[in-house]
Parts: sequence; C-alpha cells; structure tokens
Amino acid sequence: MAYSLHFGAVWASFDKLLEGLALGLGLAVAAVAIGTVLGLVAAFASVGPSRVARAFVSAYVSLFRNLPLLVLVLLVYFALPATGIMLDKYQSFVGALALYSGAYLTEIFRAGLISVPVGLREAARSIGLTRLQTNLSVVAPVMLRNALPSLGNTFIGMFKDSSIAAAIAVPELTFEARKINVDTFRVIETWMVASGLYIVACAIIAALLRRLERRFPKF
Amino acid sequence: MAAAPLLSIRGLTKQFDKLEVLKGVDLALAPREVVSIIGSSGSGKTTLLRCVNLLEEFQGGEIVLDGEAIGYRTVGGKRRRLGDRELSRQRAMTGMVFQSFNLFPHLSALGNVMLGLRKVRRLGRDEARAIAETWLDRVGLATRGDHYPSQLSGGQQQRVAIARALAMNPKLVLLDEVTSALDPELVQEVLNTVKSIADDGATLLIVTHEMRFARDVSSRVVFMEQGQIAEDGPPAEIFGAPRNPRLAEFLRNTRT
Amino acid sequence: MELFDSFLQQLWIAREALWHGFMLTVGISVASIVFGTLLGCVVALQLTYAPLLLRLPFRIYVDLMRGTPVLVLILASFYIPAVIGLSLSATEAGILALSLFAGAHIGELGRGALQAIPPGQIEAGRSIGLTFPKLLAYVLVPQALRAALPPWINTGVELIKGSSLLSIIGVGELLLKTQEIIGRNFMTIEFYVFAGVLYLIVNIALDQFGKSVERRMSAR
Repeated sequence: MAYSLHFGAVWASFDKLLEGLALGLGLAVAAVAIGTVLGLVAAFASVGPSRVARAFVSAYVSLFRNLPLLVLVLLVYFALPATGIMLDKYQSFVGALALYSGAYLTEIFRAGLISVPVGLREAARSIGLTRLQTNLSVVAPVMLRNALPSLGNTFIGMFKDSSIAAAIAVPELTFEARKINVDTFRVIETWMVASGLYIVACAIIAALLRRLERRFPKF
Repeated sequence: MAAAPLLSIRGLTKQFDKLEVLKGVDLALAPREVVSIIGSSGSGKTTLLRCVNLLEEFQGGEIVLDGEAIGYRTVGGKRRRLGDRELSRQRAMTGMVFQSFNLFPHLSALGNVMLGLRKVRRLGRDEARAIAETWLDRVGLATRGDHYPSQLSGGQQQRVAIARALAMNPKLVLLDEVTSALDPELVQEVLNTVKSIADDGATLLIVTHEMRFARDVSSRVVFMEQGQIAEDGPPAEIFGAPRNPRLAEFLRNTRT
Repeated sequence: MELFDSFLQQLWIAREALWHGFMLTVGISVASIVFGTLLGCVVALQLTYAPLLLRLPFRIYVDLMRGTPVLVLILASFYIPAVIGLSLSATEAGILALSLFAGAHIGELGRGALQAIPPGQIEAGRSIGLTFPKLLAYVLVPQALRAALPPWINTGVELIKGSSLLSIIGVGELLLKTQEIIGRNFMTIEFYVFAGVLYLIVNIALDQFGKSVERRMSAR
C-alpha cells in the first residue's frame, strides 16, 4: 500500500472549504441567537408560578435533548412541508438547530437563575421594581454573565453540529470536504484538512471566549 | 402620640409552615422617630422588618403606612394579597438596607442608585443621575460613582446600599443588621452614616446587635422575644432600667 | 383514524426492517460505549496521574477528538481505512469512530472526576501504606465513579444520538431503515416521528436508569 500525501488537490479547493466553514459559523450564530431567546423565555417560565408552563418547558427540554439532531433536521426539512410550512435547506437547519440549542440553553439558564442570590432579587423588589422589571434589569443580566462560559461552550458545540447540515446538502465545511474526497480520492489529506479547520476554528473561538470571560468575569 | 403615626402595626401574626414566628405584634412609629429593635436570634425581629416591606407574607393583623393598609385588601369579607404592581408601588414607599448589602453587581455605584429612579420613578437619565450623585455624596462616596461593587470595601458597599434606599425618597427606612456582615474596622463608618441620616429627620426602623449604637441613635428601643414585643421604651429605660427579666438577661449576655 | 390505520398497516409491513434497524442501533451504541469506556479509563488515568511526556499524546488525542465534529470522524473512518489497506465495513467504521469519540469524552470526564477528589485522600491512603494500584482501586475510583456517572450516562445518550449519523455512510441502523421505508410508502411525518419516538424512549430510559443508579449510590 503506497499512499503518498499530496495536498495539492485539497489546496485547490481550499476556498470552498473556508466558505463552508464560514457558512457553518453563520448557521451556528443564527441558531444560537434564536436558541438563546428560547432558552431565556423557557428558563424564566420554568422557575415561574405557572405549573402548566413548567411542565411544558420540561417536556420541551426532554424532547430536544434526547432526539438525535439529524432526525430533527430531517423532520423539519422533509416532514414539515406536509403541514404547509415550506422552509428551504438553510431555514430548516437553523430552525432545527435553534430548537435543539434552545433545550440545552434552557437548562444552562435555569441553573444560572437558581444561582442568582435571592438577596439581589429582594433588593430590587425593595426599591419597588415589579417582578418583570426585576427579571429584566437585575436577574437576567447577572445570570447571563455567570452563564457566559456555558453559553460559549454550547456555541462551540452547535458549531460542530453544523456539520450535520451536510446531510441535507447544505454546502458547509463537511459537505464540501466530502465532495473533495469523492472527487479527488485524496482521502487522508481531505479529512486531515477538514478536521484541522474545525479544530483550529474551535480553538480560536475558545480563546476568544476566554478573553471575553476575563473581561466579564462571573459575579 | 399626638401626630398620626407614620407606621402602625397591629396584631401582626406570621407563620412559616406550622411555626409561629410572629405572635401578635403591635408597634407604632411617628414621623422622624428612630426605633431600634433588639432581641436574640429567632425572636422575629428580621421577619417583622421583612413583613413591613412586604418581602414576607403575614397571615394576621395589619400594617398601615402613612394611612394606607399595605400588603392586603379585604374583598367581600375575604383577605387577599395585593397584585405584583400594587405591592411594588407600596414597596417603593419603604426603603430597605440589607445585612449582605445586595448591591447589583453588574451596575456601578451610580447605576445601583439610579436603577429605582429610572425604572420605578420613571425619571429621565440626567435627572436620575443628578439625584443619585447627590445621594452618593451624602453618604461620602461622591468620587466612587463609577466603581463597581467588587471594587468597593464592605463599608463602602453598605453606604451605597443606604444611598440606593434613600434616593427613592421613602417614607420609612428599614435597616436589617446593616453592620453584622462587616469587618469591625468598617462598622463605624456605616453607623456614622446612619446616624447622620437620622439627624436629618428620616424615620428609621433598625434591627441591630450594636447596643451602643441603638442607645445613641434611637428615640425608642423595642425588645422582641419569641415573636412578640416584650418591652418598648426610651433607650435610657431599656438599657438602664429594664423591667422585663428576659430583657435584663439578654442585656447581660450581650454586654457591650 | 384512517390515516392512523394505514400507518399501523405500513408499520406492520415494515416491522422486520425497523426491528433490525433498532437492534443495530442498540448494538452499535453498546459496542461504542464499551470500547469507549475502556479507552476512556486509560485516557483518564493517564491524563490525571501520568508524567508530562506520557500525558501529551493523550492530551492531543482528546483535544483532537473534542474539536472535531462526530460526523467528520465518521466520514474519515469510512473513507480512510481502504487507502491504508484496512478493510472495514461501514458498521465497523462507525463503531470505530464512535468509540474514539467516546473515549475522548469519557477520558475527560474521568479526569474531571479524579481531579475533584481532595488530595488528602491520596495522602491518607499512602499513610496507611496503600500502593498506588490499591489506592486507585479502593479509594480513588470508587469516589470518582459517583461524580463520573451522570456525564457518563450523558455520553451514552450522545452515542445513541450519534449512531443515527451512521445512516449517512449507509449503515442500516434505525434512521436509515426509516428513510428506506419512507422511500417506499411516502409516509414521511409518520415514520420520522415514529423513529424519533423510539430514540426518545431509549434515551429517556437510559437517563432514568442513570438517575436511579445515582440515587442508590447516594443512599449508601
């Protein structure tokens, strides 16, 4: 077996890989942004007074943390059209990933909410802030800052999960890599470069995150 | 009391599950009075305070602040707790300073004092800032407005907390063991601040362990024991000639 | 109810395929968890207790695995063996990828659990004369197990979810079988939902199992 490494074929398409990487990042950003809103609403609901809301959130979290993301994506992309909602590949994937990340973020935010000292809430109430004002002006900002590391890690996870978009032919990094693999037969090189790109991207994001955490340390 | 009382607590009872913590408390404060509440832990003094600013519910009796019954209303014979907005409005009429400061960590000292002014009193940013700066100056922290709680000493944080409570222009200020969590050398600066506020004419209800301070600053001292007020009188009487035997014992044990 | 009846009909027709797919999913997950745990234990011990030179390769392995998406691992495991002279079936490639993935994650969580043990435990064990292997067996690992259990169950759940990705390389597990069935009868929503429900049941059951073991451990 003589396999000599020739990276030429892979470098030729390197720009496609980079575009795919950027697309993956974009998908992750969009999904996590939506997921954060979902997670915040759900987290507050889960510590709120309504038993129905709490049960609903619990079901949502259970559902989307235990379903494989691929099944979710396929459901949204292939099955949803039958109900009349037509989403393209990108929207389907972002929607599925948003629901998926929302479930994880709900748990993170919920833990964050519980760890906000009661005294802060009481102080806010004492100066006359309503429950809503207290949540918006005091609890959420403190909680989000404390949850920053977990939020960041979830983002990195979702970025890696963006590779699953390849299954519905979204031209992100993994999809492009597989194309190059199939076209050029430069198997080892392709996957070395592809995984290298993911690893470097994740490392950069993690480093940026740590900087952010240092600037905004936990309370 | 010639003038109408600012605060009138009548027959206040409160239970935590099955445990009776307040067993019928009657207390009245006139405007500009400074009343200190002393007693051993578990006597219910902090709970009493927290009932006045509606952080706790109470099952029986009533609290009337400046003529308005707070916390509950009677609708068709049934006693109902007021809704969130009503409660919030009433809470803004009292100010509370906590043992553990409870400053908002994500806001500067100025931001802490301004929050209530902007969100509750709905003042504009410049007006709120001006008022906040005045109050920070009042507690001796004019130069620390942009500092965050983590950059302030305990004594400074507590003074910001006092400014935060006072900036809302409350009718009554509640102070819950405000020096108990402070390092000894920082206690005096806070006590001085409280004294100067009392001298300005604020109405204060203070729960404290600091007997000397209670004697110096109060117009009246109240001794609580097992959920009830056991003795109520001027400092000279309470500390000099206590009538209640348990008060005498308490004072012996907390010799200052 | 007509739609439901025809779904049940199709379900009955497809029962063997679905059963095979489900069994393969379970089999793959179990195999990966077993290999992954064995590998993970070695990794965890090396990362926690080995000297720097020995730790390094394991650190690199873990960081590589954790920075790479599972799907990329799976695709790499699928395409690469052929060119280096190894002949692996798609299923074997899948199990390889998932095991390597699991090994890294379990290694990390094991390291976390071991490092969380107060150093005083090692000192106490040493002072009664325990050798390191005995220390590990009787003092360290039992304590680490308690902390490691929930994330380990989590990894198991991730593996079951990850097994669905093997459909992309043609392994006939539950998801692929579901897609084949849908290709025949076009009952897209019904069968995807059905597959989803199966995954949910398995994962939730695994979660519950983990919680009950946790409870029994805390009771002691």
